Amino acid sequence: MTLAGYGLRRAGVGLLQILAVATLVFAFLEALPGDAAVAAAGDDPDPARIAALRQQFGLDRPVWQRYGDWLGGLVTGDLGASLRSGRPVVSLLGTAAGPTTVLALVTLAVLVPLTVALGVCAAVRAGGWFDRAVSSTTVALHCVPEFALAVLLIAVFALWLGLLPATAVGGGLLEDPALLVLPVVVLLARSAAAPVRTLRGAMIDALASDYVAHARRHGLPRWRVLLGHALPNAAAPAVQQLARTVDWLVGGIIVVEAIFAIPGLSAVLVEAVAARDVPVVQGVTVMVAAVAVLANLTADVIAFRLAPRAGVA
Amino acid sequence: MRRAVAVTLTGIPLAVAVFGPVLAGFTNARRGPAYAFGPGYPLGTDGLGRDVLGLVLRGGLSTLALAAAATVAAYGIGTLVGLLAAGTRRRWMDETLMRPLDVLLAVPALLVLLLVAASAGRNAGIIVVVVTVVTAPAVARLVRTAALDAARHPAAEAMVLQGESWWAVHIGYVGRCIVRPLLADAGTRMTTSVYLVGAANFLGVGLPPDAADWAVLVDRNRAGLLLQPWAVLVPAALIVAFTLGVNLLADDLTRRRR
Amino acid sequence: MIEVRQLCAYAGETALVREVSFTVGPGRVLALIGESGSGKTTIGLALLGEARPGVRLTGTARVAGRIGYVQQNPAAALNPARRVGAVLREFARAAGRPARDAVAQALDSARIPLTWRELRRYPHQFSGGQQQRLVLAEALAGGPSALMLDEPTTGLDPLTRDAVIGEIAALARRGLAIVIATHDLGAARRLADDVVVLRDGQVCESGPAARVLHAPSHAYTRQLLAAEQHPRAGGSLAAAEPVLEVEGLTAGYRQPVIQDISFAVPGGSRLAVVGASGSGKTTLARCLAGLHEPAAGTIRLRGERLAAHLGGRSLAQRRAIQYVFQDARAAFDPRRTVRDQVARTAIRLRGMASDEARAHADATLGRLGVGSDTASRMPAGLSGGELQRAALARALLAEPEVLVCDEVTSALDTVTRNASVALLAGLPGTLVLITHDLGLVSAVADTVAVVADGRLTRYGPVDAVLAETMEDAR
Repeated sequence: MTLAGYGLRRAGVGLLQILAVATLVFAFLEALPGDAAVAAAGDDPDPARIAALRQQFGLDRPVWQRYGDWLGGLVTGDLGASLRSGRPVVSLLGTAAGPTTVLALVTLAVLVPLTVALGVCAAVRAGGWFDRAVSSTTVALHCVPEFALAVLLIAVFALWLGLLPATAVGGGLLEDPALLVLPVVVLLARSAAAPVRTLRGAMIDALASDYVAHARRHGLPRWRVLLGHALPNAAAPAVQQLARTVDWLVGGIIVVEAIFAIPGLSAVLVEAVAARDVPVVQGVTVMVAAVAVLANLTADVIAFRLAPRAGVA
Repeated sequence: MRRAVAVTLTGIPLAVAVFGPVLAGFTNARRGPAYAFGPGYPLGTDGLGRDVLGLVLRGGLSTLALAAAATVAAYGIGTLVGLLAAGTRRRWMDETLMRPLDVLLAVPALLVLLLVAASAGRNAGIIVVVVTVVTAPAVARLVRTAALDAARHPAAEAMVLQGESWWAVHIGYVGRCIVRPLLADAGTRMTTSVYLVGAANFLGVGLPPDAADWAVLVDRNRAGLLLQPWAVLVPAALIVAFTLGVNLLADDLTRRRR
Repeated sequence: MIEVRQLCAYAGETALVREVSFTVGPGRVLALIGESGSGKTTIGLALLGEARPGVRLTGTARVAGRIGYVQQNPAAALNPARRVGAVLREFARAAGRPARDAVAQALDSARIPLTWRELRRYPHQFSGGQQQRLVLAEALAGGPSALMLDEPTTGLDPLTRDAVIGEIAALARRGLAIVIATHDLGAARRLADDVVVLRDGQVCESGPAARVLHAPSHAYTRQLLAAEQHPRAGGSLAAAEPVLEVEGLTAGYRQPVIQDISFAVPGGSRLAVVGASGSGKTTLARCLAGLHEPAAGTIRLRGERLAAHLGGRSLAQRRAIQYVFQDARAAFDPRRTVRDQVARTAIRLRGMASDEARAHADATLGRLGVGSDTASRMPAGLSGGELQRAALARALLAEPEVLVCDEVTSALDTVTRNASVALLAGLPGTLVLITHDLGLVSAVADTVAVVADGRLTRYGPVDAVLAETMEDAR
């Protein structure tokens, strides 16, 4: 199969996935007791008021009609309006997405080279002290709750040693990079573990392969054999693993933003959850699911290019 | 050495969580000033003036019990679905069982939690249900893969050639083969559940804000981190220690299998 | 110029290679002849200055200039994630040669003319034969003065084998000093100027090919030549009723591995299925046993159509076709004793009570040389050879009409292997052997099926098929 053909097929699957998530989110909220009108009525559960709100939100129309509107809205970029502020969800998310995107991109920018460096170095001396240290650490850090890890790091580095700021209150992330250090470290602790382990394992396999021995025999420099011949083969599973961690990264960012008071999506989301502002939560969920699907799609296409033989759909 | 570290890291939080509630009766039940140190409050007081030691002793069981409940439920459902998918020779049944799980895996677990909390409100029971639902697919996938591997193993094929019944092959051989990988995996699933339950409680969608729970304590008292660090650091350290310890123990189990 | 003096290789205390010496001048071809495990590959790696982990070398192995190496199963030497052209250029540059000319020259010498578009392809986009040539081209890209080829003709169909022999001869004419390690005496006869016959790491005999291969002085060399030249006489097979009929069999995973294979196995015959690794012979065998569900085609046992999958076959049908796995250790449950596992065959397929079944199991195991107390251990307590025989006993206890054996000798050392060959030769009933061990074929089989790239390319009495191969070899 060609790269373009595979990419198209994979994009089709991705679209279906997003559609499925959107449907699930919709169906799920339909199934739950109480709707947006009940939530919006809040402490004043007067039936007449709820009925009025229902009419106002269009909740009195048939399910399939609202489902159609919801999907149509997704396509045209209309995710409805916040029940609390009345602002369009899209613009609400647009403002808040900035700091979140910065945090995510900076984390990824550190994550990728870090994964390669740790994975390759550990594999080169498999069984050595460095490998054992990396393996133990990455094993141990699986699913360490960010909020707990973060407060411990804040206590040590911000309060005790006074090296780094404890929160991002009152500063721009880009203007003051020191603000990003602790949040990124906390995010890396969890998200680096799985890709590093995958890359290490795949590198060990690749280094033991006949084609690497073959390349060595041709007198290529050591770094060239490692990076030019072993890594391209080992990278495919690691890239896919990296995409899977996007899921965790998203969860992590929500928590980390809350801890470090970064004014991103997390603030919007937590506030919306507390106020049961359903359209906002729906919007964030679908948007994040779309990002996760996109990340997986990109990773699969890259992995296909790296290991054309595997061709997993 | 690593083993001893792992056992210690797991043991201390576990002991505090399990025996703490009994010992908590002997601690100071009187409210004092907020974020204060003083006689009768070995670890000081929290933002509501409660004794931190007592809160820590009482606060472990909720997180660990919720996580354990979710893990056990996820295993029950996941194993059933996984075995069904692996055991069937009908391609469509395998697909119907496994495909919907793919969609679920596309949504970050924490987001599902928040989405549910937004619609259903704050409720610890719902947290358990959601954590179960988001963990079960991974378990199903693992069970299915392990069972398929075992069923395609020459030893299993040899049994079929010998005329052994489906039950003898699948329960007698395949079942026993997948027990160990599942046990090793249970450790990491437990930490995943602790993570999700902890995050939910921290983000305020699980237990009520005045509950004695490690994650809730970290959330409610982090504003006072400068004044009274113990109210935040002790529960945080216990959660981190438990996660690290269980991960290392699970890894140990996986290694010895090889 | 290759010069080897007093080369020894040890793995711990065991000597893998003992005091081997030879010289190969420019334009000359030397053949290292011996069975697998005789030390050929160890010597080949020593020429490159390499040793497998845990292996210690003494003596000298000197090569004037560079040496190119083509390993056995060359496809594995191609990097699946890299375009072939880029790798070729990289190898040429590493040797300090101008990439463009060196690559063109190497491709020409390896007789695989590729356009620049084809050079942008990945290894999996080439056929098996092309892949082998690509590896040769890569070995040549560095401009070597010597070549080491490990089993260059193993598992090839006669046509490709012929072409490969021609290529190697052409390379020698260009002045390369060439060493080939092989157990293909025909290829050695056509190519080699000198021969070294190895057995268990020791040189039995060496000298000019013309003398050694026509008037051998060592008993082992004579034995090798005899095994090659006196295939068993086949009986009148065509007369026997077919016990197994295969028609239009196509099977695989995502892509078909075997395609449209049809043949009939006469009752009481001994069929050897031979072919290169990856040619599909194991898939074919698994289809016969019902372990792999074919995509199309039918299998009949005494005219009765068999279900595609084992689950759909009756106990009587399962009893009629038994299968012995390549990896005997994997084929036993590590948590039950070998005797208990073997006896289950008699319980399930012959309806015996468990005491009776155990007695039968012990008798069969004993006949195959596995003692009663050995059989009462867990599989981990048995050697590979013992497990292989226990696996055979498990299958034989069913008293099958057809016994399918998948590469049952490949993992065994020489002594165990010879014992197994004798054992297989003495078995009653119809036998289907999947193998690439030509010694086993000539010792046991009366019919040969050659599978290449998933298709049945030749099928007939062993004399006829081997005679054709012999003709190619001369």
